[in-house]
Amino acid sequence: MMQLGRWLAAQVGRAALAAWAIASLVFLLSRLDTAKATDLLLGEADNLGTAVLRTDIDATQRQARQAVEQRLGLAEPLFYVTRTKQAGAISWHWHGLHNQYHQWLRGLLHGHLGLSFRDGQPIGPRWRAALAYTLPLTGLATLGAIAGALLVGLVLAGGPQATLSGWRAGLHTLLTGLQGLPLFALALGLLFVFANPDMLNVLPAYTGSADAEELWDQRALRLVLPVLALVLAVLPELALLLAHALRHELSTGYATTARAKGLSNSKLLRKHALPNAILPLLTALAGLLPTLVAGAVVVETIFALPGTGRLLAEAVAMHDYPVVVAGVLFSALARLLALALADALYAWVDPRIRLVP
Amino acid sequence: MSLPVFRARTAGFWLGVGWLLLVLSGGLLAPWLPLAFLPAVPDLQHVAEAPDWAASPAHWLGTDPQGRDVLTELLYGARQVVSISLPAALLATLVGALAGGAAGFWGNKGLRLPWAGWLAGAAVGWWGFALPGRWPCSLALAGLAGLAWWHCRSRSAKLAGWPLPLDTMFQSALTLLGAVPRLVLVLVFAAGPALGTTQLVVLLVLVAWPEAASQVRAQMLRVRELPFVEAARAAGLPTSRVWYRHALPHACRPLLATAPLSLAGLIGLESTLAFLGVGRPPDIPSWGNLLGTLQQEPGAWWILASAGCALVLTLLALQQLARQLGQRA
Amino acid sequence: MKYLWFGWLLAAGISSCSLPANKQPDSTVRIRWNRDPENLSPLALPNQNAVDAATLLHCSLLQVDLSIGTYSPALADSLPQMQLLGDSLTHLRYQLRRAAAWDNGRPVLATDVAFTLKLIFCPGLPNEKVRAPLGFIRDIKLDPSNPRRFTLVCRGQAPEFGFASGDFPIISEDVLDPKHSLRQFSVESVAAANAAEPTLAALATRYQQANLEAHPERLPGCGPYKLAVWKKKQYLTFERKTHWWADNLHPAPLVLQAKPAKLHFSIIPDDAMATLALRRHELDVLPQASARDFKRLQESAAARQSLAFYSTVSYEVVTAGFNTRRPLLRDSLTRQALSKLFDPVRLLQATQLGQGQRTVGLVHPSDHRYYASSLPLPTYDLPQAQILLQRAGWQHRPTGWTRPAAGGQAQRLALMLRYRGDEPAFQTIALQFKAAATQLNIPVELRPTEGSSLTTALREGDFDMYVRIQKGNPFAFNYASMLHSRSVQEGNFSKFGTPATDRLIEAVATAETPDQKRQLLQRFQVMLQRQVPFVPLFFLPYRLVADRRLQNLYPSAIKPGYSAPTMTWATATAALAQK
Repeated sequence: MMQLGRWLAAQVGRAALAAWAIASLVFLLSRLDTAKATDLLLGEADNLGTAVLRTDIDATQRQARQAVEQRLGLAEPLFYVTRTKQAGAISWHWHGLHNQYHQWLRGLLHGHLGLSFRDGQPIGPRWRAALAYTLPLTGLATLGAIAGALLVGLVLAGGPQATLSGWRAGLHTLLTGLQGLPLFALALGLLFVFANPDMLNVLPAYTGSADAEELWDQRALRLVLPVLALVLAVLPELALLLAHALRHELSTGYATTARAKGLSNSKLLRKHALPNAILPLLTALAGLLPTLVAGAVVVETIFALPGTGRLLAEAVAMHDYPVVVAGVLFSALARLLALALADALYAWVDPRIRLVP
Repeated sequence: MSLPVFRARTAGFWLGVGWLLLVLSGGLLAPWLPLAFLPAVPDLQHVAEAPDWAASPAHWLGTDPQGRDVLTELLYGARQVVSISLPAALLATLVGALAGGAAGFWGNKGLRLPWAGWLAGAAVGWWGFALPGRWPCSLALAGLAGLAWWHCRSRSAKLAGWPLPLDTMFQSALTLLGAVPRLVLVLVFAAGPALGTTQLVVLLVLVAWPEAASQVRAQMLRVRELPFVEAARAAGLPTSRVWYRHALPHACRPLLATAPLSLAGLIGLESTLAFLGVGRPPDIPSWGNLLGTLQQEPGAWWILASAGCALVLTLLALQQLARQLGQRA
Repeated sequence: MKYLWFGWLLAAGISSCSLPANKQPDSTVRIRWNRDPENLSPLALPNQNAVDAATLLHCSLLQVDLSIGTYSPALADSLPQMQLLGDSLTHLRYQLRRAAAWDNGRPVLATDVAFTLKLIFCPGLPNEKVRAPLGFIRDIKLDPSNPRRFTLVCRGQAPEFGFASGDFPIISEDVLDPKHSLRQFSVESVAAANAAEPTLAALATRYQQANLEAHPERLPGCGPYKLAVWKKKQYLTFERKTHWWADNLHPAPLVLQAKPAKLHFSIIPDDAMATLALRRHELDVLPQASARDFKRLQESAAARQSLAFYSTVSYEVVTAGFNTRRPLLRDSLTRQALSKLFDPVRLLQATQLGQGQRTVGLVHPSDHRYYASSLPLPTYDLPQAQILLQRAGWQHRPTGWTRPAAGGQAQRLALMLRYRGDEPAFQTIALQFKAAATQLNIPVELRPTEGSSLTTALREGDFDMYVRIQKGNPFAFNYASMLHSRSVQEGNFSKFGTPATDRLIEAVATAETPDQKRQLLQRFQVMLQRQVPFVPLFFLPYRLVADRRLQNLYPSAIKPGYSAPTMTWATATAALAQK
């Protein structure tokens, strides 16, 4: 128990440190080029919307850009030190504590993630609001994918080992086909089949609604199509992985012994082969867990859900760096914690595995 | 690794090999085939048209939303699959297996680098980053490294150095690649010239290796505890040999299932990269671009049917090959 | 038994879909927006949707009237009287309507206009974007005898000052400056002041504390609607005020009409989803429909019965431009030759399905007074392109086209074409150009670039050719930001400009009589065709799909393309009579 506690503490500490390092890296990289962010705030310069012949167009634009940079705090030095190359010699300048990075770090330690460039609003509440939309979607999809993968994997592995025959081969081909389909094609396909007045018009398509007093089950129905799209996107790989591992376990010595002793195939699969074969499935799931926080951009865009995936993607497109850095911090933290969770699950499933802090 | 033992080859295996050869030959022979249309030339009068076998010249598989002939794009796109996507998938699997295997086997404390190695690395880093006092400090560090090496040589027992935290490096690399890939691509590559073949393969490998690596690492965590590994160590074999010839082959088992499927992800990634302005120029045909045009015209079932079928058949063929590779005594 | 849950799900789904489509009990109109307005503060309107929202919440002196296609007086009771002083100043005299009042009954006075101007020019506030087009306003002079009359003093002289001077939302003095502390300043002194000045700094603090970006209702406007609900990135609902000052105006001008009781804007980023929502009657108006969606809806019999289709020619023109500073493209003959490699007829058919309109220049074809219809339209002509290249000095070799240049090194004709990667129409145009160029043995490198990187690359001159959409202005003929040599760092991506063309552009912008304007514009369009800094391929169509029962939409080429406050639902009997 002490061992587990020490290991857990070490993992969490390392996760926090690594997440901070990655977020800092992204912070520094993103602010090397602030011209694009200010451009997007000022709009395009060459549309003929300005009805006046201004002889000082350049100067006005430059002034406007400087004013924006001043307001956003981009005029200050970037880091504690900067490296400059002058006449072939590389020199380092110390700027002291008055720089953008230090301000960001100080805010982070106090729990403030900063203000967005686009509308000056604090980022924390925005992220929380977006998470409230993403978590039900990705949470349900993950649970559905786990359940589906276990079900389909067990079914797929049930036959004789050497070849896949009959309907099992068909199921295998279907799963491979689903894997090859791009996610947006899957989402649009589901939309056009289930929510199309020309075809089956059984499920609501659009997740927003004019009716704020909608019953919760109507709102739940609106989540069916997006969750189904996500489940069908991740299910094939998980199921095929599990089936492959199970089929390998069924060919080992202990399985033959169990069968010789009269154990039914299904019981053999569920009670003996599954705990040994579940390791690859756990690894794949650990790779999926960060999407709980980072969201699924394609599905959120198509189904008009204002989740974290869309928030991050739009921030990248609009060069809204504070939101991007906050997003990277969260998703890095989520991924590292997911990796730690996966390690803990390995040790739980297979007691032979030792966890070294 | 010992040579795989081939059992009785099923019909499925031969079909898979046949399909892959077809794809390969289609890609290589495409310029000499009697195709009615050239690749990447839009036929502006037949944009996003379903296959019409009565017209002449006929678009046998229809046209995409830019007016390009689907059959021509498929045949020429096979080249892209064979020269970029397949090698990237195989290379990503290889790199992932090695990295994951190392991280799983040695963990954070297993691999120790001697002091000389650490100091030499520090010297190179100091000089490379041109930190203040570039020449004196790096020379001093190099001097210390030489001292440590000579000290280590003169004594019979090896001085244990610091352990290389392989597992933490692995997890950090995984997280870095997972948290920022598209952002980095946009920031670094966006306005530059189109990438060459090698650069694109390197980029794809960089994005795709984590999946294979985590699988191998997880499996290695279990395999290193198995009795035969302990026996090999007890027999006095050097650790690297135990890792490479005994533990790694067993840890790579899940790759037989994931590697074929990763091809689908890489082909999809190519079309995402083209969308961002990174990657091959748009007039080079590729299956990923063809599938990506579905977003502009969701009703183009002929594109889904033809490109989707080609992709699924390739995945199935690779799975058959992998199954043969995995069947041993 | 195992599948009971599935049966329940299916039953619930079917029962929910058997509910009738949402009926409009009280003339609500549901319109689609493809992005969130982000910021509804009247000082910082980051995108077109925010501008549309501000038009609903606030009133300006002049507003665009979609039925006549130009500005119409809203808060002002008539268009301003222009008086030129000397050769560098203009006076614009306005009078506000008697009936105009804020929600609390206080009338809208010239002091409110003065306060708004000072707010716009105040340093330290996020008002850079709205300040830029109003930079010509120097000061405001209030009339002591009439609290509703005032005069705007403007720098310079141009006929378009009249319209531009009235296009900003008027903000009440009561909320942000209840003590009238700003009345001691003039607009000029505010614009030149330091952000640290105590009164201005206090104003800035009050503005930040009001947090208008998230709570725009804290700054009520004198417009017809108030913001009822704003769910970020999902929807906005505007409700009609029960008592609005313009209700008593008879006859009500179009810009002061507001019929729907509720306006609901749904934010749907994906086009396919928006089309589906329209089909399922979850939306009433779908502006800016793409060519394919338009065609698909028109082909569906069920959709044709319940929807009405509108299509006009917008003011956005797809242009292919050249970097005139590159040695290859410095002479106009080469540019003319390359312009003949584009096929506007077929491209229009392929990308816009025949809608939209080809053009000879930047003037809109519907503007019959000024459009030079006598000039030839750009067409696809490979042989002519070859002749022009040879005339420009290029020689055709087996390896390509080369031209001896001063300084010994021969030039080789090879081009790099940049365009936005996420726009499929540009991809088609680029591929067509490359196919045509390959026939002439000219190598072309296609570089689809991400949006903001493209702007940076264009500004820095890192390209040979580009394809982009040029947004036009229906109210003015001012091409300085596109073609004047002074704008080379900003909007003049082709880096084009000679003293003669600069003078012509300035003359076009300041022409006063329509005859003068026609002559100058004719010369301008001829010059454009001869110099070819860019090839205008075609004007994009603007397509609108709406419920058949909606009337008074005024579909037009001017943004936003429809008039939300004037929409009304035809009654059931009238709709039957129409059928």
